[in-house]
Amino acid sequence: MSTSTLRGRRRSQLGILLGPASAFLAIFFLCPLLIMLVYSFLEPGLYGGAEWAFYPDNYGRILGFANPEFEDYDPVYISIFLRSLKIALITVAATLLVCYPAAFQISRLPDRWKNFALFLITLPFFASLIVRLFIWVLILKKTGFANMVLAGLHIVSHPLELIYTEGAIIVGMVYVFIPFMFLPVYASVEKLDWSLVRASQDLGANGFQTFWRVIFPLTLPGVVGGSIIVFIPALGNFIVPAVLGGAKVMMLGNLIEQQFLGARNWPFGAALAMLVMAAVLAILFFYIRFEARRGDDAPVLR
Amino acid sequence: MGTHIVQLERATKAFALPEGGTITALHGIDLDVERNEFLTLLGPSGCGKTTLLHAISGFVQLDAGKVRIDGDDVSDRPPHRRPVNTVFQNYALFPHMNVGNNVGYALDIAGTERKERNQRVGAALELVGLAGLENRLPRQLSGGQQQRVALARAIIARPKLLLLDEPLSALDRNLRQAMQIELKTLQAELGISFIFVTHDQEEALTMSDRLAVLNKGVIQQIDTSRTVYDRPTNAFVASFIGASNLFEGTAARSGGNTLIATADGLRIEAACSGGWKPGDGAAATALIRPEQFSLVGPGAKGPTIGIDIEQVVFTGLNFQIHGHTPSGRRIVAIIAAVRQADVASAEADGKARLGYDPAAVHLLPDDGTAAAEMAA
Amino acid sequence: MGSLRNVGVVGLFGYTILFFTFIYLPIVLIVAYSFNSDPINMMNWSGFTFDWYRQIFGLKNTVSENALYIESTEQLLNALRNSLTVAAFTTTIATVLGTATALGLYRFNFLGKKFYRVLLFAPMLMPDIVLGIALLIFFVGADVSLGLKTIIIGQCSFLISYVFIVVSARLAGMDRSLENASADLGADEWTTFRRIILPQAMPGVIGGALLAFIISMDDLVITYFISGVDTQTLPIFIFGMLRRGIKPEINAIATLMLLFSFAVASLGLYFRSRRG
Repeated sequence: MSTSTLRGRRRSQLGILLGPASAFLAIFFLCPLLIMLVYSFLEPGLYGGAEWAFYPDNYGRILGFANPEFEDYDPVYISIFLRSLKIALITVAATLLVCYPAAFQISRLPDRWKNFALFLITLPFFASLIVRLFIWVLILKKTGFANMVLAGLHIVSHPLELIYTEGAIIVGMVYVFIPFMFLPVYASVEKLDWSLVRASQDLGANGFQTFWRVIFPLTLPGVVGGSIIVFIPALGNFIVPAVLGGAKVMMLGNLIEQQFLGARNWPFGAALAMLVMAAVLAILFFYIRFEARRGDDAPVLR
Repeated sequence: MGTHIVQLERATKAFALPEGGTITALHGIDLDVERNEFLTLLGPSGCGKTTLLHAISGFVQLDAGKVRIDGDDVSDRPPHRRPVNTVFQNYALFPHMNVGNNVGYALDIAGTERKERNQRVGAALELVGLAGLENRLPRQLSGGQQQRVALARAIIARPKLLLLDEPLSALDRNLRQAMQIELKTLQAELGISFIFVTHDQEEALTMSDRLAVLNKGVIQQIDTSRTVYDRPTNAFVASFIGASNLFEGTAARSGGNTLIATADGLRIEAACSGGWKPGDGAAATALIRPEQFSLVGPGAKGPTIGIDIEQVVFTGLNFQIHGHTPSGRRIVAIIAAVRQADVASAEADGKARLGYDPAAVHLLPDDGTAAAEMAA
Repeated sequence: MGSLRNVGVVGLFGYTILFFTFIYLPIVLIVAYSFNSDPINMMNWSGFTFDWYRQIFGLKNTVSENALYIESTEQLLNALRNSLTVAAFTTTIATVLGTATALGLYRFNFLGKKFYRVLLFAPMLMPDIVLGIALLIFFVGADVSLGLKTIIIGQCSFLISYVFIVVSARLAGMDRSLENASADLGADEWTTFRRIILPQAMPGVIGGALLAFIISMDDLVITYFISGVDTQTLPIFIFGMLRRGIKPEINAIATLMLLFSFAVASLGLYFRSRRG
């Protein structure tokens, strides 16, 4: 008797704790995503909105199976997708390159300095993203700081076109995503057991071999984790290209924004968004497989 | 009221394993704990000793059977309504409370008046030698001090019984030995029963009034330390408590003594004064503790075993001689340090003759299963 | 060999200096140039002035009209007010719901718990533009007029996850035997929750709330899609300014915003280090 009332009480406690958030997320998170999925298969309405009819040509326009009666396949969409993918991947690689050596140096500092360095790295994360991006407009524009310095050092005679390029977008993304990459990488590096590095050297491995066979595999979880957290917001980003790419370099995010706020072709915009989501889900799928394999290895390592 | 502070009747508990199936942690255990007794539960990990402790404190609900504390059936009572307190393995001190609030927690819960509460906190801290440390945080204390705070916290509500779950396992050897004696003294001072869980047989032998050896959810033997050591009831207990040389064989009468003939041709002579006496032809195991052996010359009286020496280890107090019989059976003998000269010459020969007193040989019924478990 | 090692050490050290320069030089630049009096080329130093700050706070200044955004101060204050209103609501809602969820998953085991956990991670991993347009379609379809209300709801849909994760991390580091110890010393479930679990979860709750507040104040993408035409938050206001062309006034606004967020962050990190 007492156990059944106990169970009932626990169930109601669980309901009180989880109920409100579950309802909120069901209505305002899952529901909108499902509607968007449905929307991406609807016929665009004449003045925005959508007609209630199955219409695969939104995807056809992008992927090349459009019915020419309604929509034209235009390879520009795939090329924008591929450019976004390329920029996101370069951003990930560049952020990693920037953060990895610094993580090593900082992990070996004495505690006081280490904490201060970590504080300095996390601090910009709390500052407004748009402000941090805006600074780079001032630095990269034709009369900006970068060109001033280059001219002052007599490296260039004419100011370079730095802003409104893919390069500018990548620099801006690296700048704003540094904390996303640094913290997971640092967490792995910090955990690294340096006696393993000494053991590797003792067994005859040189610096490069030790790095490649011992240090890198042990810090891989942080590298993979950081790469994913950077890749996801980089791929669908529209703020950075809007500010630093201008109208010249368009990424998927800008295209989607246009469909919603400019061209008012919502179903097509939804289809493009589904493309972003598909890419993200694919990455997450591989990540989960990677984690699962690592989980299997763990007992052997122990 | 009965004379026992705790009574377990047919206590049974099984846990579901994550990979399916169940494991029986308590197998219908009957246990009576005397008042003012220091009882130790000893066994390998997974033997059920912690489950047994939790059944008393209330963290484990029995599948079947009863728990009585001071005569009251508390089987269905949750932990906070049982008059027992626990010293946890990792101390479980509340990290966000200072020492004073940790120790005073039980009194705060019970709504004890402020003045009395503070006075009792002070007294409890003084009892464990930490007077005046009320305002420190747990993390500012050493391991030994944390241990004492946990102790003070557990006794402040004057429980009828104190449970200690491997409380000394995290301390280094010297501190552990000092705490063993302190705990013993404290128990005598408080005049309540302590139930102490450990997997360390030396600790168990040092501290207990009585000692219960558990394996696979069953109490194998419960008795005074001395008896458990000298007269183990089965091969598991014999091998778990102290080092032992076990000889399984068949019993035969020989004058007043019993001879155990092993399969590899040894004959072990036992006097069987007290304890179990096997009939002729019965299966039996002879137990000889390493320290019962002595180094003897070739013409010695009484039974002997000849061994080839593999290694001699000097431990400071004595010599451990590791060797084997011609048939390959491993033997350990402990010889007092004063016999250094004999040990040295035996070591030089690579051979030794070990004598023993048949009266010191203890016979166990050979149930086979116990020996198999030891091998595992 | 030894000298080669030294080269490596010095190289790594130099690299780290560069790393921090990369992070902080732009910030130093913007602060410095917010005091530059040149109204046309912001990177051309032509003297020290407080004018841009005076302009923002509506004080007398010598700045000519065409170097300014029109009605910027009033719009700025309005945007700031909107941002703070939104952040106050979202922080409260997300902290309550996220904490409750974290406690629920900590205390109870139930069928589908793993799935539920994945569901709670999803809003964080969802690209913000996807969530933004999904919410836009949803609100327009449900005929809800866009404004502060939709911004608050939209931000909560991912802020709950942030709070949940911060509080869960705190709870996961908690020693479960403390609850046993509390029960052993006579406390019932509610007392244990109040005196043991909640005080220990508190730094996580505060940290989660702070994070929610900062992210809410800074959110641009999702808010951009669901804010409607009339409602501007601070990031959207600045994004709009950037699109209208850059004028020196923005340096001063940016500096003030940096100052504010650094102050909040320093405070948060300081409290965290004190709590241990």
